[in-house]
Amino acid sequence: MAALDAPAAPTHGRSRTAAGFALALRQPLLPVLIVLALVFQAGSGSFLTQTNLRGIATDAATIAIVAAPLALLVISGYLDLSVGSTLALGGLVAGWLAAEQHQSLPVCVAGALLAGAAVGAVNAILCCYLGLSPFIVTLGMLTAVRGLDQQLFPLPLSNFGAGFAWLGGARLAGVAVPVVLAVLALAAAAAFLALTAGGRYVFAIGVNREAAYLSGINIRRTPVALFVVTAMAAALAGAIKASVLDSAAAGTGGVGFELAVLTAVLLGGVALTGGVGSVLGVTLGVLFLGALQNGLTLLSVPTFYQQMAQGVALIVGAALAYLRKGNPA
Amino acid sequence: MSLRISGLTKSFDGVPALRGVDLHVAAGQVHALLGHNGAGKSTLIKCLGGAYPPDAGTIEVNGATFGRLTPRESISAGVAIIFQTLSVVEPLTVAENIFLGQEWTRWGLVHQRAQEAVAAELLARVGASCAPRDRVGDLPMGQRQLVEIAKALSRSASVLVLDEPTAALSGTESDALAARVDDLRTQGLAVVYITHLLAEVERLADAVTVLRDGRVTHHSPMSGHTRQRLVDAIAGPGGAPARSRRRTPPPGPPKLAVEALAGPGFGPVSLRVAQGEIVALYGLIGSGRTRLLETLFGSRRRTAGSVLLNGRPLTASRPAAALAAGLALVPADRRAQGLFAGLSAQDNALLPSVARLARHGLRDRRAERRLFSGVARALGVRPFAPALPVAKFSGGNQQKLMLGRWVNEARRTEVLLLDDPTQGVDAGSRTELYHAVRGVADRDGVAVLFASADPEEVVALADRCLVMARGRVIRELTGPRLTEAALLSMVHDAGGVR
Repeated sequence: MAALDAPAAPTHGRSRTAAGFALALRQPLLPVLIVLALVFQAGSGSFLTQTNLRGIATDAATIAIVAAPLALLVISGYLDLSVGSTLALGGLVAGWLAAEQHQSLPVCVAGALLAGAAVGAVNAILCCYLGLSPFIVTLGMLTAVRGLDQQLFPLPLSNFGAGFAWLGGARLAGVAVPVVLAVLALAAAAAFLALTAGGRYVFAIGVNREAAYLSGINIRRTPVALFVVTAMAAALAGAIKASVLDSAAAGTGGVGFELAVLTAVLLGGVALTGGVGSVLGVTLGVLFLGALQNGLTLLSVPTFYQQMAQGVALIVGAALAYLRKGNPA
Repeated sequence: MSLRISGLTKSFDGVPALRGVDLHVAAGQVHALLGHNGAGKSTLIKCLGGAYPPDAGTIEVNGATFGRLTPRESISAGVAIIFQTLSVVEPLTVAENIFLGQEWTRWGLVHQRAQEAVAAELLARVGASCAPRDRVGDLPMGQRQLVEIAKALSRSASVLVLDEPTAALSGTESDALAARVDDLRTQGLAVVYITHLLAEVERLADAVTVLRDGRVTHHSPMSGHTRQRLVDAIAGPGGAPARSRRRTPPPGPPKLAVEALAGPGFGPVSLRVAQGEIVALYGLIGSGRTRLLETLFGSRRRTAGSVLLNGRPLTASRPAAALAAGLALVPADRRAQGLFAGLSAQDNALLPSVARLARHGLRDRRAERRLFSGVARALGVRPFAPALPVAKFSGGNQQKLMLGRWVNEARRTEVLLLDDPTQGVDAGSRTELYHAVRGVADRDGVAVLFASADPEEVVALADRCLVMARGRVIRELTGPRLTEAALLSMVHDAGGVR
């Protein structure tokens, strides 16, 4: 309950300190993130510099872009594990349009989004209309789409040109374009949850699909839209990565990405069983993962320890959430 | 004496459920336990089974005396409780179910053949026709019940509690069960038999105890009983007085007119409900009352008949369509089908109406809050806490929020269907809920059709009552003829349900 969207809780009439305390209770990741930043700063001396924070934000941007819609999908009781392969597909389609068809950036991005929407539509039909298990469907799609990537683009693509580089490299008012897109994605998800009726339906469907159906709520429309948008976001993230790297490869692009995004979403307090979560929490989850990886790199901790730290963080986070829920106090 | 319960007392949050209950059941006796819903029967059984610790009193089983029992102690003392919702594991075989948790092993492996041989003996003892290797999921309800009884015997139970055992059985299955219970009596078991059906009591019981409001109001051997004395003991002195006024059906065309409606398991049923009228569908589980309501609402398929809402045909095949036309259902299973657990009271009451209040696609929070305040005030929701998770409200207040979901200013609900409206609502809050439903009918002119198995509730709430059995309306009671005594004898006449 503690992680329900913040605007629903009454905060008026309380002092700012109390509100801050309540926020810390609802978002236990916030104090953890602050402590983590201070530790890394003390250890490396360069964690809290503008350059480094910009680096974290840029690295975290692609995760955030996918985590925003995926969080809503998980809150509504569904799941998408296929985003890693969809990310690769988006990067390949966009890169192919740029390198081999010499298309402009908007066309390249539109192509990637279209490819993503197609994958999302298949997921949505299988899960929402045929009622198959989202875990099985999207696990299958993870493998199937990876195969499709390799079938369509057997050779790595590169040399996308200056126009395409804008997506991953340019700055708007000093902020990298991927970060701007990530902020927009998170803001859109938060606004949808808080300001629209559909946002309420996300929670209702996630908590009790049968009660939602018996309440006259269209229990397919919202999850279908979220499946499509999540896959489109993954494809967009793929285009961004292709632009940053100026290359895209079917075999390696986005491998393990689905687990990174899901880790961020779950660390952010979204319940895998549906019905619980907030965009603020997911934002903190994304930042926490980014900060952890970046800080450990600054401290020259070997990569395999970093991976262990991420895994342990997820388990500890889940254990804490469980203890908090199990303990009525 | 095989089971002797003395002075058992139990309260929940200060609300007494049992106030010094005595119950003595001798070996080789069938003892009927009667009483309304909420009279304390289930609390008593749960204390015996170890689910609740009693506040005071003792439970003596086969000479061993307990102040409180754990579920494990209860089983090893020789108590077996067969609940209405059976606890068999469907994918397992009959023999595996009987020996579940007490498997016979040889060299660390389950000794299937030995188990099956003993299971066959036990099944013969309870008169079951299924085989040890049958999958329980493939068996009809009556056989599953016998498997549970066989399981109890395998644990050498000497006190057997049957909680409304015929509620889910067909007529022939009920007759077969009665014969089995007779056998168990001659085998020397002490049987506690909970039921609503007086005919079963007369046929089976050696003695009877009636509970009302947590007290024993009647206790005697069965011989020389008249049905009237039992009915009086169940209903209380002179029967519970109607708490609200009786009304004559208002003139004018009916809000809801049902003609020869039928679906799988019920019908044909015809009925009418006028504006502001409250009509009860009285019947036991399996009488078709829930199916009828769900078919009207469109969550169940109709095979024949027509429904007119305000004179216009309603062909709802989905709940959304029925709701759009102004017909709403509050389901019986609040947790599974009604509540959004974890979401706030306001979300629970207003979720289906949020889109109606929205402007330009954005929620109008001020209008939502205003609407919720109106609903909470009109229905007396306590506490007034829009943001509080709905799970923190009492059953009665949760049910008020469910009423408010469909009766509020953002909707034009004209017909409200309530399935078992006080399920999980404690006795003290029922009157309040009746008041709220009454208000919905009087103030908002909503036509209310509710299903109930509780005579007290029907008398307290309904203007008119339709008695259902075997999927049909068998009788209509109005005005002074609508009394608890009349309803109790109706259920008897209806006999085995379905």
